[in-house]
Amino acid sequence: MLVKILSVANRGLETIGVDVEINIAGRGLPGFEIVGLPDKAVDESKERVRAAILSSGVEFPAKKITVNLAPADVPKEGSFYDLPIALGILKSVLQFEVPEKSLFFGELSLDGHLRHTKGSFLLALFAKEKGFKNLFVPKDSANEAAAIKGIKVYPIENLFQLVSYFSGKTSIDSAVYKEPKDRLPVPAEFDMKEILGQEQAKRAAEIAAAGGHNIIMVGSPGSGKTMLARALPGILPPLGEEESLEVTKIHSLSGNIPPGGSLITCRQFRAPHHTASPVGLIGGGTRPHPGEVSLAHHGVLFLDEFNEFPRQVMEAMRQPLEDGYLTISRSKETVKYPANFMLVASANPCPCGYSDHPKKNCVCTPRQIRKYQKRISGPILDRIDLHINIQPVDVEEFSENQKASEFLHSSKEIRKRVILGRKRQEKRFKAESIKSNAQMKNSHIKKYCSLTKETEQLLRQASLKFQLSARSYMKMIKVARTIADLEGVPEITVSHMAEALQYRPKIYEEV
Amino acid sequence: MDKRFNLTTGKLGEDIAKKYLESKGYKIIEQNYKTKYGEIDLVAKKRNELIFVEVRTKKGENFGTPEETIDKKKLRKLWGNTKAYAAWKKWQGPYRIDAVCLVLKYDNAVERINHYESII
Repeated sequence: MLVKILSVANRGLETIGVDVEINIAGRGLPGFEIVGLPDKAVDESKERVRAAILSSGVEFPAKKITVNLAPADVPKEGSFYDLPIALGILKSVLQFEVPEKSLFFGELSLDGHLRHTKGSFLLALFAKEKGFKNLFVPKDSANEAAAIKGIKVYPIENLFQLVSYFSGKTSIDSAVYKEPKDRLPVPAEFDMKEILGQEQAKRAAEIAAAGGHNIIMVGSPGSGKTMLARALPGILPPLGEEESLEVTKIHSLSGNIPPGGSLITCRQFRAPHHTASPVGLIGGGTRPHPGEVSLAHHGVLFLDEFNEFPRQVMEAMRQPLEDGYLTISRSKETVKYPANFMLVASANPCPCGYSDHPKKNCVCTPRQIRKYQKRISGPILDRIDLHINIQPVDVEEFSENQKASEFLHSSKEIRKRVILGRKRQEKRFKAESIKSNAQMKNSHIKKYCSLTKETEQLLRQASLKFQLSARSYMKMIKVARTIADLEGVPEITVSHMAEALQYRPKIYEEV
Repeated sequence: MDKRFNLTTGKLGEDIAKKYLESKGYKIIEQNYKTKYGEIDLVAKKRNELIFVEVRTKKGENFGTPEETIDKKKLRKLWGNTKAYAAWKKWQGPYRIDAVCLVLKYDNAVERINHYESII
């Protein structure tokens, strides 16, 4: 007897429909075979399905069972085929009806319970797009899927419950989406007001957060670079609706959404250690999976001790920094992942760390310093919009000023300004596919960032004097635009440009 | 269970299987036919189709089912056997390989008997 149950397969972020065909043959030795390019996790589902069916109080048929996952030439991976396979076998034994236009998805535990399975959000998106009506997913993964309106998501606790539902003995209420609890504000490790002094750095962080600009901080040890970066999540604007869907998609695919989780509404802050491999950071593998740059999509990728990252890893980020996505090609498949992140890097000026310290002596030789600074290549530095030198804080000075700056620079206050600035950008780019100033292409700059004569003259003079590249020239305009947005001024004035020029690529230029 | 009795158990199983198949309308034409690949437990005939039968007998299922004892190696052997037999007898018609799996109780009464058609 032949039974067909519908499920899906993921290729990167792309989802395709899969027919799970189960044939229980009258002839042949009892056995259980899965065909259709299953990977190890799919093949092992045989054992889980067998045990789960027995645990649900149904005799496992002692016949030759063949499961075909069609289309047969697409590789299948993941544990979520357990539910469609088990249901197919149960259907041919117990003879119940399965409603049309339904998708099944979920990993079984040996006792027949359904476990939280990654990727249910992508399943829901696929169902919505292709006009499926019902989704049957594990209870813990149901909220994630229910975020998509217009389809019925049934939270399933165990196989037994599902079978009795189909035989009309019990009913299951479809899941209603529950909003995430951590909507506002985003929890950060530090508040900006906890950081002593460093007014210029805080201002730069505010500009970076408002415009989504990349930023690099160079300074001696203990000056507060890492603390500043860790405080950054607290001043980031919330994700837009569309952005939230994109981010949730990536995180659902990589299994980062906890059981009972919902849409991701706050910007992600990813801080991989500098021992990260190129594949870990960029993504890859035989079946390419998203890396840190994609997990930081629409969020922050913080690379502490930037010099310590291997050259290969750093250079691999050039393409995503420029394009906002990356294409990973492997012999088996080619996948495109979005990677529109804000790069926050921090570094020391020299191996000992004190070359720009006003009081401490640097013990490095010029050769050592040059070698150390050369680790970050020009092309990467050129792609970073804001460059700031962080000076060590004078202990005597900050104790007096602390109270005054507290009100102005608490994360809450900064965040309010950042959100306002970001809203002005979103309004401006309504007709475009971009959301922030950092994403502007040259055509956008021409259209939206007209400079007055004096402003242009200032920029031209500066770029001649500091030998700015064409890319840096454009970046200066983008930064000036963000500064003007923070202020709420439609025109970029000379003072905005002058401030922007302070953050020009100047790091390491003196050596 | 002592290994010494496996042979008698097997023989007993084959006799039971033979009677069982005969009752289902099969005509047994050979028993324990030897080829260079090994032995064919039973060769039967029904509606002009030659049927090679492998009989598996177990006493109790505590140490695995008789079905489990038919592995890839045994299937390969069976396949060679049947081809050798068909060639030797110049058989031109259709043929297939079946298995009869028997579980006996400790007093040699039959607990269950299953007949699987066309196992290769």
